[in-house]
Amino acid sequence: MKSKPTFGLLFFFLLGLLPFVAALIYALLYSLGIVGILSEGASISYWRQVFQSGELIGSFLYSALLAGIGVALSVSLALLVSMGLRTSLQHRFWSLLIYFPLAIPGMVASFLSIQLLSKAGFFSRISMKMGWIDSLQQFPDWINDSYGIGIILTFVLIVSPFFVILFSNVYQNERVSELSTLAYSLGARSNQVFWKVTLPILFSKTKRIMILYFIFLLGSYEIPLVLGQESPQMLSVLIIRELKQFDLKLIPEGYVIAVAYTVVIAVSALLVFRRREVQVHE
Amino acid sequence: MFLEVKQLSKSFQKDLIVDRLSLSLDQHRTLSILGRSGCGKTTLLKLIAGLETADQGSIWVNGEEMSGKTPAERKIVYLYQEDLLFPHLTVRGNIGFGLKLQKVAPSQIAEQVDLMIERLELQGQGDKMPQQLSGGQRQRVSFGRAIITNPRLLLLDEPFGSLDVGTRQRMQELFKELAAIYGITSLFVTHDLKEAILMGDDIGLMKKGSLQIYSDKQDFLLDPQTGVRSEIEFWESLLKPNY
Repeated sequence: MKSKPTFGLLFFFLLGLLPFVAALIYALLYSLGIVGILSEGASISYWRQVFQSGELIGSFLYSALLAGIGVALSVSLALLVSMGLRTSLQHRFWSLLIYFPLAIPGMVASFLSIQLLSKAGFFSRISMKMGWIDSLQQFPDWINDSYGIGIILTFVLIVSPFFVILFSNVYQNERVSELSTLAYSLGARSNQVFWKVTLPILFSKTKRIMILYFIFLLGSYEIPLVLGQESPQMLSVLIIRELKQFDLKLIPEGYVIAVAYTVVIAVSALLVFRRREVQVHE
Repeated sequence: MFLEVKQLSKSFQKDLIVDRLSLSLDQHRTLSILGRSGCGKTTLLKLIAGLETADQGSIWVNGEEMSGKTPAERKIVYLYQEDLLFPHLTVRGNIGFGLKLQKVAPSQIAEQVDLMIERLELQGQGDKMPQQLSGGQRQRVSFGRAIITNPRLLLLDEPFGSLDVGTRQRMQELFKELAAIYGITSLFVTHDLKEAILMGDDIGLMKKGSLQIYSDKQDFLLDPQTGVRSEIEFWESLLKPNY
């Protein structure tokens, strides 16, 4: 009965892997000046230009920082909610409320953030009504700001509900409640149960998903496009800007960034996920 | 008496699960409690461990009243029916968990854990994760983790219920060995007649929240309620030639 896995692998290769590899090869050839409308033959000059300008490194670090903070805040908030409201989350109303933000597309979430967080937005007006600020202009810059606060908050809005659901499920499936009781019985106090049992179990079972979400946020496009600033820009925004610039001769630079980004992420993902699952001996 | 339980009661909603139950136990002895599912055995153990709160009655350990004390303060370890191991820790980490909580020096933890691994016959398994172990091995780790903390009282809730006959027998022998080495005082709850007789120095029968403790094993064997006589009659009937 080997036909099913073989067919599955072939299907994955044809629909999943082949287009991706083909696109990567095309991008690599474009970045080396081998293909393209104004191709002038093989050259590494575009790669040299991109790395010398420092924009790629800056954008990569900026994206990694925002994605890292976004995941860290989302995970922390989700932990608070899932552990604090463990019983309530079993009610239909609360679980629906948690699922709801998952259905919001990135672009919609971005415009929602503008409505809420901008100087003319909801919180700004509330702050003025409450007398905390004298004019709307005094409200802090959270949209298109240099620290990416609007981007981070929007990341948290769309990512944290997923982690609330994930943590709640892992808590149940891994029987953390019973393990906590066991730890109490072995002499643990509440804070020891949290730090030595609950947290390590939840993290060990979800760390790969956290890494995947980091990669997902690192490459996110709509949210940084709407809420980000001109420079530095997050990677996807930078790549699209480079690919769509007026000077057609500079388009290969966009492909350089895309190839470099893909290789870094692919290699990192391979390193992270290469560990094999342990075998069970019954 | 080392352990004294006086007039303990516990209800869940309108169901009376433990009904004015009293028992006493000397130090370094094991009391087997035989009872069917739902008779209140697990609730009794959880009340003694401090994992449930009694509606009335009191629990005394070594002359000290336990009510109001947290499970950690009681130094009573409750061993689950299943081999519940911490999935993020190795065998070594699981066994040394309680000692780490007590802030024992790492070198001492390592020494005691190695000794326990040897006694549990788990040499070479110390760095494995729980999912790499068999059911019997997991149960041994669970035992070692409880015993190494030197609890004042060990509460075993049908600990071998999920094991096959051979492994179960080996575990029963191992428990008796460890109980002797570490001077364990324990309550051993089971629904298995033979196990109840084998494991306990003293023996009791629990029914509908009440516990009857027998003065000696002969009394237990002769009481028709325990089911020993019907068991003997069954095996004897198999040996009859006309069967």
